[in-house]
Amino acid sequence: MSKKPTAGPALHKVIMVGSGGVGKSALTLQFMYDEFVEDYEPTKADSYRKKVVLDGEEVQIDILDTAGQEDYAAIRDNYFRSGEGFLCVFSITDDESFQATQEFREQILRVKNDESIPFLLVGNKCDLNDKRKVPLNECQQRAQLWSVPYVETSAKTRENVDKVFFDLMREIRSRKTEDSKATSGRAKDRCKKRRLKCTLLVFFDLIRDISSRKKQRQMDVKEPAKPSPCCQLL
Amino acid sequence: MEFDSPEEKEFPGLYASEAADTKSKKSKEESDFSEGDYDKHSKKDLLLGRRKDKKDKGKDRGYAALDGESSPEEELDTKSPSKSKKSKTFKFVSSKSKEKREKSRDKEKETKGVEEEQALKTKEKEKDKEKERQHDEKEQKKKEKERKEKDKKDKTDKKDKKDKKSKQTQQEDTSEHDEAVALGCPIFGVPLSLATERSRCHDGVDLPLVVRDCIDVLQQEQSLRCPTIYVVEPHNVSHFKRLYNNREYDADMDEMDTHTACTLLILFLRELPEPILTTDLLTSFEEVSRNRSVTKRETELQQLVEQLPKCNRTLLGWLMLHFDSTVQQCRYNKFNAQSLALLLRQHLQMSQRLMVVLMYHATHLFPDIKLIKYVPPLTSASPELPDKPEEIQMELRKQDSLLSQIHNEMNEGFINKKREEQLWEVQRIITQLKRKLRSCEKKQEKSVDEVESSTSAPPPPPQSDTTDSKPNPPQIEATAQQLGEAMPTTDSSPSPPSVIDKETGYLLLPKTNPQRDELLRLQIEFDELMSWQNELKTRIITERNEIFRLKQVYEQEALKPQATAIASQEQLPEEGDYERIIEHYTRENALLEHKKQMLGMELKEERRACIALQVELRLQQF
Repeated sequence: MSKKPTAGPALHKVIMVGSGGVGKSALTLQFMYDEFVEDYEPTKADSYRKKVVLDGEEVQIDILDTAGQEDYAAIRDNYFRSGEGFLCVFSITDDESFQATQEFREQILRVKNDESIPFLLVGNKCDLNDKRKVPLNECQQRAQLWSVPYVETSAKTRENVDKVFFDLMREIRSRKTEDSKATSGRAKDRCKKRRLKCTLLVFFDLIRDISSRKKQRQMDVKEPAKPSPCCQLL
Repeated sequence: MEFDSPEEKEFPGLYASEAADTKSKKSKEESDFSEGDYDKHSKKDLLLGRRKDKKDKGKDRGYAALDGESSPEEELDTKSPSKSKKSKTFKFVSSKSKEKREKSRDKEKETKGVEEEQALKTKEKEKDKEKERQHDEKEQKKKEKERKEKDKKDKTDKKDKKDKKSKQTQQEDTSEHDEAVALGCPIFGVPLSLATERSRCHDGVDLPLVVRDCIDVLQQEQSLRCPTIYVVEPHNVSHFKRLYNNREYDADMDEMDTHTACTLLILFLRELPEPILTTDLLTSFEEVSRNRSVTKRETELQQLVEQLPKCNRTLLGWLMLHFDSTVQQCRYNKFNAQSLALLLRQHLQMSQRLMVVLMYHATHLFPDIKLIKYVPPLTSASPELPDKPEEIQMELRKQDSLLSQIHNEMNEGFINKKREEQLWEVQRIITQLKRKLRSCEKKQEKSVDEVESSTSAPPPPPQSDTTDSKPNPPQIEATAQQLGEAMPTTDSSPSPPSVIDKETGYLLLPKTNPQRDELLRLQIEFDELMSWQNELKTRIITERNEIFRLKQVYEQEALKPQATAIASQEQLPEEGDYERIIEHYTRENALLEHKKQMLGMELKEERRACIALQVELRLQQF
């Protein structure tokens, strides 16, 4: 425990979040070992470390692959707290998983208390485009609301797998240098601003989400009327 | 301890030689030695001025206690073997405790105000989650700790002037408080069950880690044989105590020596709020120990020990077995049961007799306990993860236990950077172990596992004509597997360019290579066997489905019992015929079963021949 190579290369801590079965572990394993696992086995929690070269600089990435299932929600906070960046994954073939990203985002913001935490919205399984249930523009819209990047990936074909991890690491890195530069006073101010912005954003986001859902329901009557997760915030 | 230490250094050797002497001699010397003790002290007292008064009192009290506690019948026995040591060590203990009492009284008056204030502050800082009980524990612990610290301080600074000392202790107080604030969930000074829960040994032994580590150190041969084991000058172990309280102890970084381990262990025991034998059972234990019939005593003790809470029982067992092994080395360390018990009884809060009795019966009372050295869960610093599946599984259990403890602590609000680091690290090790285990399993799956599972637990008894499908697959798979394993070695050995046949995917060696035919044959045979295996597998699946279907039908039938009852009534045969018919069918069935098995064997042979021919045939094509 005490002999960690933290003194060496910089260490960036990434956490994979998202509903069960969207491919968090598949993305992680593809990134770590270039392997694609077909058989599904729910994760409780797994953690990996890898040395990578990020823009010519050798860094270490710690990836924590969390459980999508609600059963393990109790231990999630402990992990979220120590994360420096988040990959919020959903499956483009599963609308519910897309809706769930809202809850994950909220949980992360609550634990980290920081709206500008490095965060990527990731639509996985883009190789199954013919079975797409979540329209691309909807995904992009949500990412825009949160002011986070949106990337579509495929753990199967390895499309954009490296990209999401490296993009996130870049964000974490820039965030860290920014933090170390800031004096304590300024940091406080920024923190306050962030929080304010955060609450506003969440609020706007909520309104927009509700209106978009209403539209959607009008369009698609068949869709079961499930309680919208964003309402729970109120 | 300055004036004590010279004695201590002299005594062990001195008495060691005496301990070897005969008892009769000893009893005579006894009085001399105690006199000697007194003499020495009075001299010192003179030197030390008023400080001596306290000391003397302590000594007197100690002796009085000793006399009172040892019963006449045991007196001789107890005193003779190491009388001298006893008086010596006892004095040491008593003076310590005496001083502790005195000091704490004084200091409490002095610092009570400060203490309370600080305790309040501490409380405020604490998280809401913290329960009332924990506050109490904390305070209690803090106070105890202070006393202890003062104790130590006093010992080392005995010659200092009083005002100087009080200043120092006050400093000590404040530093103590700082330390206490930093602690979330201490290990020392809390009930045993809590301490055990908070610092588990992750291999399933219900002991607080600190106790386990200390015993591990003390169980080493050089410790057990050390003549000063448990005869220790009070020595500052607050560093180790802090490490354990903060769960930061790392055996590699801070190695404990024998005396540190002794002191720390005793410190832990002394700070326990309740005696190990529990307040409820303590008197019963003492009563039982007075029983002179050994066998009866043992059974009674057995019953009492089983009534103890699990963690108390474990701790008692470990301690007694350890003390027992200490005494077994008496040739080297000059300790016998009596003298060791006399030395330690106070810390264990039991009488000397009881402790001797417990040590005597330890192996029978705790047959399930073995003093196994603790191997902590691996860390990233550990060189290698285990390779064998069983070892991996054992390590996984440890890591899981560690992980859940970390989660619990974090949920209790015991969060810092280090904890988080540890959380990720443990998680990483678990992930690695799981991956390793999985790859091990995959390797074994085809060979060992399947053979075992299909031979040891064959599918349910034949319902329809399953014929030969059952006995065959394991063998076939095994051979297939062997072939599969043999392949790569033959593959890799030939260096000349080998061609892969596009149609079949076979590896073709150049015609000149003598192994060409052999390799080809094996590949074809492998192919054939694989296809047979697949065929049999699909058949097993269909049979299983059939079994499932039949079961369902059966269940449905069972739901309407009346209909079947009626049906069976109709064809009720005569009483006499009944048994005969049953016998007939049993015999017939057995015969059929046998025939079926023979046919199965035949079928298998035929199939083998078939495959062989097939291989030859296909070999011709190349």
